[in-house]
Amino acid sequence: MEEITVDARYKFCPGPLLMLIEAIKELSLKGSKGVKIRLLATDPAAVEDVKSWAEATGHKFLGYKKKGEEYEIYLEIT
Amino acid sequence: MGKVALIISSEKLDKIYPGVILATTAASMGWEAEVFFTFWGLLALKKGYEPAEVSHDYSKYGEAVAEAVRSGQIPEWKSLVRKGKESGKLKIYACSTTMGLLKISREDLEDFVDGVLGAASFLTRAKDADITLFIS
Repeated sequence: MEEITVDARYKFCPGPLLMLIEAIKELSLKGSKGVKIRLLATDPAAVEDVKSWAEATGHKFLGYKKKGEEYEIYLEIT
Repeated sequence: MGKVALIISSEKLDKIYPGVILATTAASMGWEAEVFFTFWGLLALKKGYEPAEVSHDYSKYGEAVAEAVRSGQIPEWKSLVRKGKESGKLKIYACSTTMGLLKISREDLEDFVDGVLGAASFLTRAKDADITLFIS
């Protein structure tokens, strides 16, 4: 399964979420159902923001990993 | 889906940003977002006018905000508005009373302004909002 990475490190809220949405919008043009996105962020609020946004929009939040100050947030486009 | 209605009455960056971030994020979640700019907030909608200050009590943080914008850590607020409007869910309104007071005409306003409203019209749009905030 295809996985793409979006690097939103050092962006404050709502930067990580908006970059994620932008990436999904670009992918959608090509038919992106099932594509997994790995969002990199340093904003600690990004995890909960992405989770809330995914719930509101129907995408699948797959969890996250914390590596030092950085977060890797996983999402599947549905 | 939710709906948020905001009234912004200041053109200081520490008032504009919280309002615009909430409205744009709401729109990105599929919510409706209605934002009414009144009094000094209306100045921010004037073409060619760039709000550059934070509230005077916090002026020592002004440079930190400017630097965050310059470095791209936070987007320029008008680009946030335009992004929010891509969904069609974000509406920006100018207060008709303030336009009269400050002698601002419709042509003076940014292209992302959806309309000029009086109190009754905005109240009608805000009536069924889940979240209503006055930011001053």
